[in-house]
Amino acid sequence: MKIAMIGWEYPPFKAGGLATHCYGLTRSLADKNAKVFFFMPKTKHKSSSDKRNLKIIEVGETDIFPYDRPDSKEIEGQFFESVYKYNALVAAKINVSVKTNGKFDVVHCHDWLTMKAGIEVKETHNIPLVLTVHSTEYDRSGWLYPNQWFIDIEKEGMEKADKIIAVSNFTKNVIVDKYGINPDKIDVVHNAVHPIPEGQKQEIVLFLGRLTIQKGAEFFLKAANKVLDYEPDTRFVVAGTGDMLPKLIDQSVDMGISNRVIFTGRLTEDEVKHIYGISSVYVMPSVSEPFGITALEAISAGTPTIASKTAGFSEAFKNCLRVDFWDTDEMANKIISLLRYGPLHKTLSSEGRKEIDLFTWDRVANKTFDVYNGVI
Amino acid sequence: MTSVCMYFEVHQPMRLNHFSVFNIGNHNDPNTSYFDDKLNREIFEKVARKCYLPTNNLLLELIRKYDGEFRVSFSLTGTFVEYCERYMPEVLDSFKELFKTGSVDMIEETYYHSLSALYDDMAEFEDQVKMHNQMMRKQFNYRPRVFRNTEAIFDNRIAKKVADMGYKGMITEGSDKILNWRSPNYLYKPTNADIKVLLRNYSLSDDVGFRFSSKGWPGHPLTADKYAQWMGHCEGDLVNLFMDYETFGEHHWEDTGIFTFLKHLPGEVFKQNYLDFVTVSEAVERYVPVGEIDVPWAISWADEDRDVSTWLGNDMQHSCFDELKEIGRKLRENGHKDLLHTWRLLQTSDHLYYCSTKGMEDGAVHAYFSHYDDPYEGFINFMNVLQDFKQKIN
Repeated sequence: MKIAMIGWEYPPFKAGGLATHCYGLTRSLADKNAKVFFFMPKTKHKSSSDKRNLKIIEVGETDIFPYDRPDSKEIEGQFFESVYKYNALVAAKINVSVKTNGKFDVVHCHDWLTMKAGIEVKETHNIPLVLTVHSTEYDRSGWLYPNQWFIDIEKEGMEKADKIIAVSNFTKNVIVDKYGINPDKIDVVHNAVHPIPEGQKQEIVLFLGRLTIQKGAEFFLKAANKVLDYEPDTRFVVAGTGDMLPKLIDQSVDMGISNRVIFTGRLTEDEVKHIYGISSVYVMPSVSEPFGITALEAISAGTPTIASKTAGFSEAFKNCLRVDFWDTDEMANKIISLLRYGPLHKTLSSEGRKEIDLFTWDRVANKTFDVYNGVI
Repeated sequence: MTSVCMYFEVHQPMRLNHFSVFNIGNHNDPNTSYFDDKLNREIFEKVARKCYLPTNNLLLELIRKYDGEFRVSFSLTGTFVEYCERYMPEVLDSFKELFKTGSVDMIEETYYHSLSALYDDMAEFEDQVKMHNQMMRKQFNYRPRVFRNTEAIFDNRIAKKVADMGYKGMITEGSDKILNWRSPNYLYKPTNADIKVLLRNYSLSDDVGFRFSSKGWPGHPLTADKYAQWMGHCEGDLVNLFMDYETFGEHHWEDTGIFTFLKHLPGEVFKQNYLDFVTVSEAVERYVPVGEIDVPWAISWADEDRDVSTWLGNDMQHSCFDELKEIGRKLRENGHKDLLHTWRLLQTSDHLYYCSTKGMEDGAVHAYFSHYDDPYEGFINFMNVLQDFKQKIN
């Protein structure tokens, strides 16, 4: 089977779960003897593949992340243009590739940034289009002010796709309810994780993610404030960057806890692994979380996790704690309980790691193959 | 002649309120702040409507119809009786009416359905059994002769203690671990104590208790005549059918046909030439033990493992259990009589059951019985309450 896959990020260039997913999926597909051509933008960090069946093809250049908003200052004015340009370049590159290497069996694209190209390739070469939805505009906007431009692109891609893969039932429901797509066209494939080694645990409570409205870091800080009244020696780490960083720093200063909260900014992959390993508690207070690979990463590092009740991964995962993202009293209750009650921490840590073993990219690749075989 | 011995466990725990770490040390009244009266009342009234009242009525009807030849036994926990008194006295009245027929026997247990039999010091266990005994005398004017420990937890040590307390019979699981090739359909005697042990026939009991409404089971649908024939083919003195009373109408809803099954069961049993019904006391009087059982490690009727791992299977459960014991030591030292009842309500085994992390089939059963989203919620809540309670007695 020959697959043209269109992505936006790939390690070492990585802004979110999309990169992790594409990395895990393409490598496992290649291991199962599929020929995967992965198209992505050219970046400063060159991505490459050590697998015979997997080719990484870098196309043009772009400054846009899948999580960018059109109103972000650096890319003002050229946002929409950049998206169209990248999609056109990818489509052209695939045309060239077809001429030299022959036709693809399927084109597979991920999220809104790549949908235009996916549709064009489907129509030009008359091959089925598979679309994976990692998040929707509703998730990224925290359901506050979703941007119609993204919604229109997403809707068009979903309508034209022969099959949609949703990363959770949560996301499947959004696709059905908000985009009016027939549920029979949508398969749910939960993500997987490459396990991260456990480190020497310290009294650190970790938030790790983009500092955007979607990820709910402000609720993490509110809970931190409450925890510190009872457990004053606790340290809180906010890892990641995003448009809310200045506001969050202000918030921690206003609450008088800035000496207990560390803002790390953007971390390298090794730093991310390290911080997962040494943290005692991971909190994922997302306002809207289609899946939440970071939770599985933290759990794989033996770090008990408190996640939003609606987070997609928790549909299929038992050994974690759940809260409503706005319920910072309960979030604090659970953080303190994890810090105080060793047996709780130990049981969650060991049972969680056992359960993580079920979340392999091999399983994701098998399920994705099932989807391909259904449309070819 | 083989006797069918039906025994039903009737129990309700006092479920806990949501209690966060922020509630610890706020001078709250334990009785109002620890227990979720609203939830407890709701559940009790629901189960009474679906199970206790309709099943009691049906049993009464059947006992009268068959002139007392249809016989059953119950154990009512102390917490269950407190529920009745507080919310629905008519439920207790209907048990009394059943008892008055003379075809119903009552079994002793620990008042609080606790794990006190597993404490190093058995004084608390003895106290709770005596409390149950007093309750039985007050409510039923009766002294039970057969004892059933919480969820049939049993080992040599407990058997010895119960024998020393004067009971003639004791109930536990017909576990393969203690029987090996032998049949559960006889009385046995513990190696170290003089008491007759009734063993649950788990296969036939679970056919009704667990599998009755399971469509994937080859025995489905289970009819009274089919089931009576199975029992008719059993060898031995006794077929012990021991189960949760909630089997009728609650675990299996009315629309599964469970009441129709029960209604026809006595008639179908009597159609078999060599079957009759006995209460647990009659079983102990009528039959003699055919062999000895040696149970150095505690067994129970719970889960697939049939041991105590249901309550003491992970670190969280062990730490709560240790806290309970520690609180008990302090209470006895400090003599806080007013807090004794609260401590005992916290000893009810269900609180530990909710913290079980057992996976697979058992986990599904646990989730069904728990009002918490997961065992971790159960632990956090229980441990927070225990920490608050500890501060109160210090």
